[in-house]
Amino acid sequence: MTASAATIAQPTHDAGAEPLIRVHGLGKHYGALEVFRNIDFDVGAREIVAIVGPSGCGKTTLLRCIDGLLPHDVGEILVGDQRVIDPIPGVAMVFQHFGLFPWKTVSENVAYGLRMAGASKADIARKVPIFVKMVGLAGFENAFPYQMSGGMQQRCGLARALAVEPSVLLMDEPFAAVDAQTREILQFELLRIWQERPTAMIFVTHSIEEAVLLGHRVIVLKGRPSGVHEIIEIDLPEPRNRDTLRLARFAELRERVWATLMREAREAEFVLER
Amino acid sequence: MSEVTLAATTPSATAGKTPRKTGTFMPRLIVGAVLLIGWEVVVRLLAPPYVAKPSTVLMAIPGVLTDPAFQAATGNTLAAVAEGLAVALVIGTVIGLLMGRSPAFESSFRHYVNGFYAMPMIVVLPLFSLWFGYSSGTRFATIVFAAIFSIIINVADGARSVPRDYLEVARSFRSSRSSVLFGIVLPASMPYLLAGFRLAAGRALIGAVVAEFFLSIGGLGYYILYNSRSYKHAEAFVGVLLLAGFGVGFELLVFWVTKRFMPWYRRER
Repeated sequence: MTASAATIAQPTHDAGAEPLIRVHGLGKHYGALEVFRNIDFDVGAREIVAIVGPSGCGKTTLLRCIDGLLPHDVGEILVGDQRVIDPIPGVAMVFQHFGLFPWKTVSENVAYGLRMAGASKADIARKVPIFVKMVGLAGFENAFPYQMSGGMQQRCGLARALAVEPSVLLMDEPFAAVDAQTREILQFELLRIWQERPTAMIFVTHSIEEAVLLGHRVIVLKGRPSGVHEIIEIDLPEPRNRDTLRLARFAELRERVWATLMREAREAEFVLER
Repeated sequence: MSEVTLAATTPSATAGKTPRKTGTFMPRLIVGAVLLIGWEVVVRLLAPPYVAKPSTVLMAIPGVLTDPAFQAATGNTLAAVAEGLAVALVIGTVIGLLMGRSPAFESSFRHYVNGFYAMPMIVVLPLFSLWFGYSSGTRFATIVFAAIFSIIINVADGARSVPRDYLEVARSFRSSRSSVLFGIVLPASMPYLLAGFRLAAGRALIGAVVAEFFLSIGGLGYYILYNSRSYKHAEAFVGVLLLAGFGVGFELLVFWVTKRFMPWYRRER
């Protein structure tokens, strides 16, 4: 399944290109606890891969390994031809907890990644307004995080990641901490931004709807120790937008992911802690 | 202090300030008046005339404040305290940050810092006076000694409790070690640093006065000592009041700095 999924030509978003991210036989332990084993998948340079799985299955740990924040024990992660053991340039992460610095304004937070990458002052001054505007925060350049709603804070977190113009975006349940309406708005904003500047994206979520709406493929992880249970091709028409939600095919795919996930979730739920 | 904080945060709180203020103001005024009257009465009835009482202290204020010797003494002490605090702040912050973020540094320094912090500053004075002489150098050393350890301890606590989220973001964006320390850990520790600095300021003032008592060198402490020994208790007491005023003034200064330069503080978390 994994091998065939990787070789299937992606309809519009990634036709025939070499994958940008390759994850081979990845395994990770926390002491005696095995979090996941034998994770294999690829992500194309202009592809969104969504990862869903029962809670506690290590989705977030997997993403942190791919960002180089956590070391992995077995296997390898390649971005382009670079092996990931530490965070590497060209990869940016958006965090569930937003991770904004409360003492910095929107502009300063957005500039953070650029500054750390050694961008010149002129470069920062030119780029920051572009990305602040892109995420819809124009007019709030000098606001502090405490003055903003959760949705606005995550827009700022997204702008900070986009500002370094990464070829890979890692999204760690980015909309899990905002309310339902804001979440929907942000999903479509993200699609619009991705269509403007497509990148490779790994999107971890526990919302099946979100995974099917955003992902070109959805990876369903299984329970502990987790591994890739199934990779489901999402053959919805591009560009994705609000109309996508009304397609019969959308409902079908959502059901399919749901059925796969529920088998896993039920097994994972009825396990006693050792 | 707390109602001041609230009032400054939101305009609506300013409207609600007046009734609450009068609610606490009257009892406060009454307690103050009772204390002053009691003091006045007791001294008038029982003590010799040179013992300070509120009326004589009040009358001494204009004379003392315009006395060039008093002005010079106050300026002298304040300059020494400011100098010592600045040095203690810079060195203490760096040591505190390193202690908070490096377990090796922490374990090698911890016991010394805690030991020196608990040590009464007055016991080091004889030693310091041997090393630096009966001079303002000894006073400076005493001020730094009095102030630095509370800054180190607080900054180290702050650096230890920096939310992991911030450090994760910093690492994800490939920040260098020094930019994490000074760009993330330091600003995130600011509330702790300010708490330590407030403690340090009080201790620095005590250190300065104690050093002046011990060394008999010019300054506000020596002015107080000299006047009380020459039976000018009222004049000495004006100096004491001024020291108390510094405490309040410093508190207000810290509050203003916080509000002006750290608007995010007290609202985050």
